[in-house]
Amino acid sequence: MSTGSGTSMDAPAFISSMDAGRVLARRERRFASALLAPAFAALLATTTFPLLYLIWTSTFRIDLAMPFTNGFIGIDNYRDLLADSRFWSSLSVSMIYTISTVVLQVAIGLGLALFVMGMKKGQGLFRLIAILPVVLSPAVVGMVWRTFMLQPEFGIVDFLSINAGLGSQNWLGDPTLAMISVIVIHTWQWTPFAFMVLLASLAALPDDIYEAARIDRASAWQRFRRITLPLLRPAIVMVVIMRTMVALTAFAAIFTVTGGGPGTATEILNLYAYRKSFTELSIGYGSALAVALLVVTIIISAALFAVRRAK
Amino acid sequence: MNGRGHVRFEQIVKMHGNFKALKGVDFDIRPAEFFALLGPSGSGKSTTLRILAGLDAPTSGRVMIDGKDVTSADARDRDVAMVFQSYALYPHMTVFENIAFPLEMAKMAKADIAPAVQDAARKVKIEHLLERKPGQLSGGQQQRCALARAIVRRASLFLLDEPLSNLDAKLRLETRAELKKLQRSLGVTAVYVTHDQEEAMTLADRMAVFMAGEIEQIGTPAEVFTRPNSLDVAAFIGSPPMNLIPARLAGGNVIIAGQPLATTRADLSDRNVTVGIRPSALRIGPTGLPAKVDLVEDLGDSAVLDLDCAGTRVRARINHDDIPPENSSVFVTARPQDIHLFDPDTRKRI
Repeated sequence: MSTGSGTSMDAPAFISSMDAGRVLARRERRFASALLAPAFAALLATTTFPLLYLIWTSTFRIDLAMPFTNGFIGIDNYRDLLADSRFWSSLSVSMIYTISTVVLQVAIGLGLALFVMGMKKGQGLFRLIAILPVVLSPAVVGMVWRTFMLQPEFGIVDFLSINAGLGSQNWLGDPTLAMISVIVIHTWQWTPFAFMVLLASLAALPDDIYEAARIDRASAWQRFRRITLPLLRPAIVMVVIMRTMVALTAFAAIFTVTGGGPGTATEILNLYAYRKSFTELSIGYGSALAVALLVVTIIISAALFAVRRAK
Repeated sequence: MNGRGHVRFEQIVKMHGNFKALKGVDFDIRPAEFFALLGPSGSGKSTTLRILAGLDAPTSGRVMIDGKDVTSADARDRDVAMVFQSYALYPHMTVFENIAFPLEMAKMAKADIAPAVQDAARKVKIEHLLERKPGQLSGGQQQRCALARAIVRRASLFLLDEPLSNLDAKLRLETRAELKKLQRSLGVTAVYVTHDQEEAMTLADRMAVFMAGEIEQIGTPAEVFTRPNSLDVAAFIGSPPMNLIPARLAGGNVIIAGQPLATTRADLSDRNVTVGIRPSALRIGPTGLPAKVDLVEDLGDSAVLDLDCAGTRVRARINHDDIPPENSSVFVTARPQDIHLFDPDTRKRI
């Protein structure tokens, strides 16, 4: 309210409280932006810029072995890519690798979680042991499996195979066995993640609905199918989404175990992009492969998120 | 009445580690009876119900349903339905699916399930909520859904574990009456666990009063109220609780605050006793125990008086028309048949 003296000194007093609030809010927004700016700039520099640069690079022919052919070629790399049988082969290897590892992780993780939920003693110790593979670097895991587990004659897996009467196998030399081996290694390392998430979700389910189901004469299998699975669905879908994204972009373990071989038997799309860029030094085409992988990952993730939202 | 639902508990003991939750419980429930298990928290009534449902196994003893020994049978192999305190509705299923679940598990033909669900929902007045999920229902509606799920299968035994405790006071009273009517119309044996003695008194045909893992008394609500057989039951049943006053029995009279009150037990020799008198049995009159009115709690239709009888605190529930003012002096008395005598050592009724 004005004091009513009528002098020009009173002018600011007429600024409504609404205006004052707006000014204050603007100032606060500006201050918040200033605080956010460094993190935002770092994020732009480390994620958005490289991504845009990758897309930009993919429109060039950059061949370090033949630099005189370099130049802007538009979408030619993508046209070549669609006609490249090795691209389709690596994409199918990526799909097989991703689907197998994710299905195995969820199935084994859920099985372990159900088993541990039923344990009366030793739950803590089991969890501790189970989580160990996750904390190891995939490169270290790859080295350990290659040298200690899968080495013909000396590896533990081969030792067990010989003792089981299956004879010594060339685990990483045979295309099928190599593919199975890298799937097993990824599953071994990342199943504990699915196990921990599903165990936490299982532990959060109330006991009384299981008791109600027993009273309603549901068998153990019916309780699992009609109650546990639907109630775990959000957690399972979340695990599938997260593990799919990681499996599609897996690299280190396969790189250290097989390097994509024998031949291209375990060459997932990521590895093909790496080989194309840094072995064959065809940076432009390698970038196009990486962009293709990005597009595939986004499409699959979007589909999975749509599944998650459904129902 | 279907003649099914005869329950017999024989010497049931339940141990939790070294703790004896049930210390040899025996009782019989007749077909179509509404039987309440009443007792304070931790007295063993819910454990008894869980053993009857087959959710827990007893450490020793026998559970018989309709003459069959079901002690080692799992819940799914007993013909029982249950309403849980938390309702235990399946959160991912609609009300229809919740009610239909026991029928599906019983492998009922699909064509028969929908009419059965509709019928059960109509009985508890939730037929308009069948498409909703439990999370979209109020507490009272959830409770009705749980009831419908329990009655839809027409089991021989209907178990209720404090089903009204999560409802507000008004809804609890309404549902209580409906529950009784429902049980009568279905003619099914109902076993009802509660710590609320008013609920047990109003609903049950007979009740068992549990104290510290043992049954203190079994009887009709009227029997338990008018002839409590121990100090613990006397103190637990009734609101306000029974006045329990240490006194001397001499010549058939009990001496309280130096004044004699006649009892019906002239046959007993002189001894120390604990006298039990219900607040509603105390009357204000021209003679009796002199008392000072410390406090008046006016309940509208009646009043509860806190009285000081020469140092002994006594509560009386009297008619609204006769309320004496606070700090006034009155005389209180009780009819001989309203005076209960208990042994202070064994705590049992004399």
